Amino acid sequence: MYRARLERDFKGWIDKGLLPESAARAMLAEYDGRESTFRAGRVLLVLAALLLSASILLLVAANWEALPRLARVVGIIALVWGLHFAAAWLARAGRSGLAASALVIGSASFGGGIALIGQMYHLSGDAADAALLWFAGAALSAVAFRSATMTAAAGGLAWFYFGTVLTESNFNLASDWRLWSVPALAILVVLLVRFTDAGRARHLAYLLVLAWLSWLYVDSPSLAFAGGLAASGLAAFLAAAMPGSPLRPLAMEAGSAPAFYSFALALLGFAALQYEAVGLTTEIVTGACTLLVALLGIAVAGAQNGAVRYLGYVAFAGELLYLAFETLGSMLGTSGFFLISGLVVAGIAWLVIRIEGHMARARRTEASQ
Amino acid sequence: MSGETQKSRWLNPLLAALLVAGAQTAALGYMIESRASILRSGREVLLKTVPVDPRDLLRGDYVILSYDISRIEPELFTGGFPAEEKEAQIYVRLEQQLDGFWTVTQAAFQPLAAAGDTVVLRSLPFVYYPSTPPAPVNVEYGIERFYVPEGEGRTLEEARNAEALSVDVRVDAGGKAQIREIAVNGSPVYEEPLY
Repeated sequence: MYRARLERDFKGWIDKGLLPESAARAMLAEYDGRESTFRAGRVLLVLAALLLSASILLLVAANWEALPRLARVVGIIALVWGLHFAAAWLARAGRSGLAASALVIGSASFGGGIALIGQMYHLSGDAADAALLWFAGAALSAVAFRSATMTAAAGGLAWFYFGTVLTESNFNLASDWRLWSVPALAILVVLLVRFTDAGRARHLAYLLVLAWLSWLYVDSPSLAFAGGLAASGLAAFLAAAMPGSPLRPLAMEAGSAPAFYSFALALLGFAALQYEAVGLTTEIVTGACTLLVALLGIAVAGAQNGAVRYLGYVAFAGELLYLAFETLGSMLGTSGFFLISGLVVAGIAWLVIRIEGHMARARRTEASQ
Repeated sequence: MSGETQKSRWLNPLLAALLVAGAQTAALGYMIESRASILRSGREVLLKTVPVDPRDLLRGDYVILSYDISRIEPELFTGGFPAEEKEAQIYVRLEQQLDGFWTVTQAAFQPLAAAGDTVVLRSLPFVYYPSTPPAPVNVEYGIERFYVPEGEGRTLEEARNAEALSVDVRVDAGGKAQIREIAVNGSPVYEEPLY
């Protein structure tokens, strides 16, 4: 955890006389005092909320025959009202962790209510519509209570919706509005993240868009689509990370995510292009372009952005191994493949060490200026 | 796990609770009422069920129902078929036969006007794949599931597969249907109350 690393580094700096002990203690105290830092109690609370939610859903699944139908509906609606007002009361009392847990259970009760009513009244409608309604309920709760936890829950439900759309349509192309509803939900989640300050929940939305694009490509692979993914990813990455780009300051403000996800999109596109490539020459040309893009990512954004750097290394290594397997591996047999792989990995290791050393030197000169 | 918000509240939490719980209740209420209104004012239609393959399809606790109107022969279609693969809905005209059951007399990919003693039923959206010559079209109407208490599904399935099961549905003006009653050999076993 970051807290433990911070403490260890402080100790080292104090021992070297770089940092007075009182300052280190004050910094740690400030860090511990922050609202958003990891607290075991809060995490356990949300876990407890999730377990209670699961029990509600299981109760519904068990059909609950002992009660008359209308009584069951009244029960679940009472649960929805009770939990949301409990959350309001807890929020007013300053117990934000407990309030967030109550909201999560309240939202699960709503989802349970949708399933219960569908079952009791024999509504064999679309499961994806039910998932969408559940998402809408959770998103409304996130907005009304300005709750970061509910934003994360809505992000999870957006994924659940995507999964339902895929399974309902047997992984075939769904109808047009279904298709576009997935990125629309991702945009909604990003807006919720901005509104509720939910930080990490934004990755749920970005990953959802990447997963959606991969699905689109797998569903109807075409050279044009693969090229479009590669080109738009590359353009977005350069806009977000190239020094001198007018969008760069804006992207930097949002942290390392814009550069990382546009880079990931570009690599996804090149992986698709590699899949499209037929014949040795095209394979090698596409492979060389992929290697260049991986190196470009490391060179442009690798120094400030660790995530881009590691993704770049992984893509570079994966592409080299793929090329080695496709071209030389088939000629040399299995032992030859391992020989080539060993040489390739050694070469990459040498390159990575050079790059890391270069970047460390660049950072040092920057720091001493 | 990101912590709770550091941004200030914009809504009194009590108001927020009222808004969220109210909207969620309204959504659940709408689900119940849209079905109840079909049962209350829809037209009554008696449908014959057909065996489901594979025979043993009790999914958790609902019985899958399939009707003779679920599969529509290409000759019944008027107004042509879509030329390419697309998401479509079809409309079927049902007419009562001498044995009391209703059956499809006309089908179309465009809305059909209600006429005389016929009832127009609308299918759920499905993806249509064209073929030459046109093949029979299989559709669902949203009345294919009937949830039963645990253990009771078997009896209904056996009756369904012996073609002894009949289903009484109500159809509203928009062509949507809901199950009102299920009968085995003509005697009702499940009668659905409005709420």
